[in-house]
Amino acid sequence: MRSYIAFTKKEFLESFRTYRLVIMVAALAFFGLLSPFTARILPDILSGMDIGGGVVIELPEPSANDSWAQFFSNISQMGMLVVIIVFCGITANELSKGTLINIVTKGIRRHTVLLAKFTVATLMWTLGYALSLGICLGYTIYFWGTHDLPHAWLTFGAPWLFGVLLIIVMILGGICTSSITGSLVGVGVIVIGLNLINIAPAAQKYNPISLAGGTFGILDSSATVDDFFPAALICVGVIVVTLVASIVVFDRKQL
Amino acid sequence: MDVLRIENLTKSFGLTTILNGISFAVPPGSVFGFIGENGAGKTTTMKIILGLLKPDSGSVTVCGERVRFGMTKTNRNVGYLPDVPEFYPYMRAREYLKFCGEVAGLTDTQIKDRSGSYCELVGLATGKKRIGAFSRGMKQRLGMAQALMTEPQLLICDEPTSALDPVGRKDILDILRLIRGTTTVIFSTHILSDVERICDSAAVLHQGRIVLEGTLQELKTRHGSQGLFIEFDHPDDTEVFCELIPPQWLGERGATEVRLRTADKRDEHEVLRILAANALVPLRLEVIAPSIESLFLEAVS
Repeated sequence: MRSYIAFTKKEFLESFRTYRLVIMVAALAFFGLLSPFTARILPDILSGMDIGGGVVIELPEPSANDSWAQFFSNISQMGMLVVIIVFCGITANELSKGTLINIVTKGIRRHTVLLAKFTVATLMWTLGYALSLGICLGYTIYFWGTHDLPHAWLTFGAPWLFGVLLIIVMILGGICTSSITGSLVGVGVIVIGLNLINIAPAAQKYNPISLAGGTFGILDSSATVDDFFPAALICVGVIVVTLVASIVVFDRKQL
Repeated sequence: MDVLRIENLTKSFGLTTILNGISFAVPPGSVFGFIGENGAGKTTTMKIILGLLKPDSGSVTVCGERVRFGMTKTNRNVGYLPDVPEFYPYMRAREYLKFCGEVAGLTDTQIKDRSGSYCELVGLATGKKRIGAFSRGMKQRLGMAQALMTEPQLLICDEPTSALDPVGRKDILDILRLIRGTTTVIFSTHILSDVERICDSAAVLHQGRIVLEGTLQELKTRHGSQGLFIEFDHPDDTEVFCELIPPQWLGERGATEVRLRTADKRDEHEVLRILAANALVPLRLEVIAPSIESLFLEAVS
């Protein structure tokens, strides 16, 4: 346990001193801020534009749901990109540079290293995401007042869960290949593969990619909890399996 | 009980055989030189001892416990200094040593005491400077300090001096000399003068096999002398002497000095007999002991 805590502390120190934590928190906070402001001012900007020919753009009054639509769009694209950029080297860098050699030869168990890395990456993502969500929620309430957020845990937990999936996939990719390219290829394969599966409508209910931004449908009533619950369960299952696979591969890896 | 025992170790990478059934043992308290050319398999052997690489066959025992690949239990008795130690560049030296101590399960008091004393031992000036700004020599010193933090029974150093300047090299060898007796050291190198300076025993790895092993004294004795060096006070004596000895023994020759390529003790006795029989009294007569370099070249040729 002492080794785990020591390695976790080291991971936090690394994230802080290499500015990974700052980048993650700042970028996600910015997306949280951007979403309600975009929803609020976009109609004004568009209506003020003169596109000629006497065409007048009339848009309905913006609502809280427009703000949430922006939020889910930002998180599912830019937010996930930030996760990938910040964490793609989390295991690959240590293996390619050889910094783990001194540590592993001190007697720390390999899976302790892996679990500490996963813990810190997940906590950082959770912190960034919670901050982003909190800022967006605060400004959305400020602009449009309190409003109902049905099934908030699943609705807002879904993108977070997909982010965790990306993290563990990058950890496994890094362990298998000892390179950032391997981590990125791992994420690429998962994202492209899940998008291809999503072509089949019957599979969408079970596909973790639908968690990235799709749960906005619960807010605008175009979807129900049942449309995402199986995908959330499968996503948790995939995360656990990938974590176990990472431990097994790492224990057998020649360093 | 030997601190390290290796038996019939084999390891291949693809079709290339790196280790072909090597065996040797390192007794407690000794400084063991593991000699070999670049690419001979020294690092591979060390990584197998540390459980970082999986051997194809054979066994490694550290302090009586068998090493298992991927498991780190035996590493609690081992300190390791890699050939190019890599650190977290954003950390400071003291922070790194504290981290190593925590990972190894040391108490706070042990960490504080040891990080201070080992920084002092390796001559590492601590300060605000981060490791990323350290020179190669400073990194090597920090590498030595981190390897000693757990006060291991066995210290494994992989070519600790090969990339250092003469001052850095001397410092590292001095540190090894200081800890000998309390810590068993296995130290790989291709710098043979380093072996002569600090090792008690050595093994030569060549083409995947141990071709020479023993204490330095044993090796030198076993391989006999490399000849005799004789100095006379007058060139005439040299002239007379050179005419009396069998010509095949004659080596380099100066006005008053001569080197003889005698093969064994019997030849040396014969030289003494010739000197005595002809009333030739040399100023100096020395048995030329074989150097590790000559033993190494003989073993690998």
